[in-house]
Amino acid sequence: MWKDIGGREAGQIRPNSFANRVKSHRLSTLQLSNYKDIVSPHKGSINSLQVDLTEERYLLSGASDSSVAVYDVQRATDYEGGGHIAKHRSVFVVDKQHEHGHKYAISSAIWYPVDTGLFVTGSYDHYVKVWDTNCTRVVMNFKMPGKVYRTAMSPLAASHMLIAAGTEDVQVRLCDIASGAISQTLSGHRDGIMTVEWSTSSEWILVTGGCDGAIRFWDIRRAGCFRVLDQSQSQLGRRPPLLKRKVSISKSLSAGQNSSVKPRAPQKRSANGNGVRQSSVGRIPAKGSVRQRLHPGMLSSQDRATAHYGAVTGLKVTEDGMYLLSAGSDSRIRLWDVESGRNTLVNFETVRLQTSKPIQLATTQDPAVVFVPCMTAVKAFDIWSGKTCLTFRGHYEHVNCCCFSSQDQELYTGGNDRQILVWCPSRLISDGVDAGPMQDQDNWSD
Amino acid sequence: MKNDTNSDSSKPKKRRRDEEIEAESSSSDRTLSLEENLTFSDTLVALRIMRAQFPHIDKVSIRPFILQSQLYSSVNDRTQVDRELESLRRERVLRVFKLNTGQDDHAIMFLDDYLNQIECVVKRMEEKKQVNLEVFEWFQTHVLDSKLEPSVGHEELCSLLSIVGKVKDEHISLLINAGILTRQLIDPDMYWFAIPNIGSVLKGLSQGRKEIISFLNRRKYKEMMLALLEKKHLRFSPLDMRFHLRDLIGSGHLKTIHTPTGLVVQISKD
Repeated sequence: MWKDIGGREAGQIRPNSFANRVKSHRLSTLQLSNYKDIVSPHKGSINSLQVDLTEERYLLSGASDSSVAVYDVQRATDYEGGGHIAKHRSVFVVDKQHEHGHKYAISSAIWYPVDTGLFVTGSYDHYVKVWDTNCTRVVMNFKMPGKVYRTAMSPLAASHMLIAAGTEDVQVRLCDIASGAISQTLSGHRDGIMTVEWSTSSEWILVTGGCDGAIRFWDIRRAGCFRVLDQSQSQLGRRPPLLKRKVSISKSLSAGQNSSVKPRAPQKRSANGNGVRQSSVGRIPAKGSVRQRLHPGMLSSQDRATAHYGAVTGLKVTEDGMYLLSAGSDSRIRLWDVESGRNTLVNFETVRLQTSKPIQLATTQDPAVVFVPCMTAVKAFDIWSGKTCLTFRGHYEHVNCCCFSSQDQELYTGGNDRQILVWCPSRLISDGVDAGPMQDQDNWSD
Repeated sequence: MKNDTNSDSSKPKKRRRDEEIEAESSSSDRTLSLEENLTFSDTLVALRIMRAQFPHIDKVSIRPFILQSQLYSSVNDRTQVDRELESLRRERVLRVFKLNTGQDDHAIMFLDDYLNQIECVVKRMEEKKQVNLEVFEWFQTHVLDSKLEPSVGHEELCSLLSIVGKVKDEHISLLINAGILTRQLIDPDMYWFAIPNIGSVLKGLSQGRKEIISFLNRRKYKEMMLALLEKKHLRFSPLDMRFHLRDLIGSGHLKTIHTPTGLVVQISKD
């Protein structure tokens, strides 16, 4: 560590690689924290965890007993064990007794991406509610036609404040906070939608995973999805080869039979950070005669390609927006190249994954690691090789969600055993004794 | 350690003991033991060797196939296995079929073996004086060549077959009866490609898996030395122990531990 600092000082190591080295070292020593504890007031299994995006200070959790709680993970509420163990109790809890609270299990609780003044919850009682954090009041209510499995808001959105809600109904609904109404519905899936994620490189791109096993990419500015991921379309390696455009042979054959199908009108899109190419016309499966005239944007609803052999239970876009990780109930995790829409064939060694509930994955960029809840353990895989780096066993029952705070390199996991566990890089004992928080009375650093 | 269960008359017991002794002697004759040959360097090498080691099954005429989980236990890097399989598939050296025995079971068969298998089926159908047998020719030349994925849609199948001649529903029923196509349960319009005559072998596969897992579960520490486990004879499966062990280790139900006395096979928790 000191050698690295010396190298950085002398200019031998670049700043980014120095930071990455420290982060990888800390990541490799992650273990169940023996100095930090989050006291969970929930009486039901924890379904959703999220640390706020602006400061990474407040952790929001949603549970099956219709309760939502917020914890401050940076400052402890009290200390035990002679000042060594920091206990973080909830800042506030909202539960069934609240006059406008949810009645059934909360499946998803997310922060408003801009600041922590609002948060959004989605529940099995068919409602998506927007809450004001300071007064803990419900500001807005959206009624959905089925159980809400996931809600998501775009972290990059500068011109819209849409909540994407995935429910057991086949349509994805976009709820607008500015107007208080459901502004758009996206059709194309053939079964309920378990996971919804916004792209991290464009504020207009939404990715959804359904119980039918399909993963669809939507540009919300136009109708229909522009890409359906097919697990048989694969590329060998991180990026497709530069010179040869690899089009699989079956698709070229179906392109030849496409003359009777109305070609999709070419869409012009201004380059908005994400240079996602639209899929070629050949992706539409050939129909002998077009039975009904469909809007060009709706032709994708006939594309029945599946990304997994079961339901898609978890989705995560990497921070650079170039790759997508998907977990399915066929116990497979796949890594997709967003630009080409192909399966990179990285094999993540999983034996079994949860099949009935959506799971929340977490990723870090450098080192490229993905944290996946696998039954009662959480496993960390290296994204490029698929090998297991670390296994975190601590929960007594299935783990549903995990959230990684990249600032502090801490992992928070929540499961069916109603616990939120904190996994921290190991700390030397001497650090804990010297910097005892009891001795330092004021919060200023000298 | 012999699986002597209580049987009513002495004669079957004696016969079974004889069979067991025969099996034991033949397995000790085989020079390759599983422990020494568990992993290979390359996917194609692993495929060829496992094809050569495919057990001979008496009542069913079936060409050798390899399960994908067996490949995962035989080559160290799973991503490399997936990518090499993909490139071999694209070069039309082999075909991958999805099986209905488990969650993510896939069978790999070399293309020549698969074509041979289809030939056997066609020959048997000719003996029974079936009509419309030209559909198998069409299937081999057009569909197999262009569709490399394990599944095919109804529309696409009809359009590919009708390149040569007029395809009727009877043709497709014939393909399904022969066992080359199976309907998908989730989607009425899609078919899986399948290996004909494989039904009894798949049943043996599931039963054999259950037998090994329950045998190891009953032991005190849920583990056994690989060298000893390999010599056991399976009662419910026509496939041999080595086949099942590679499959279970690759799918993660069993794990191998290196000990000073050799490899130990243990049931993996989670």
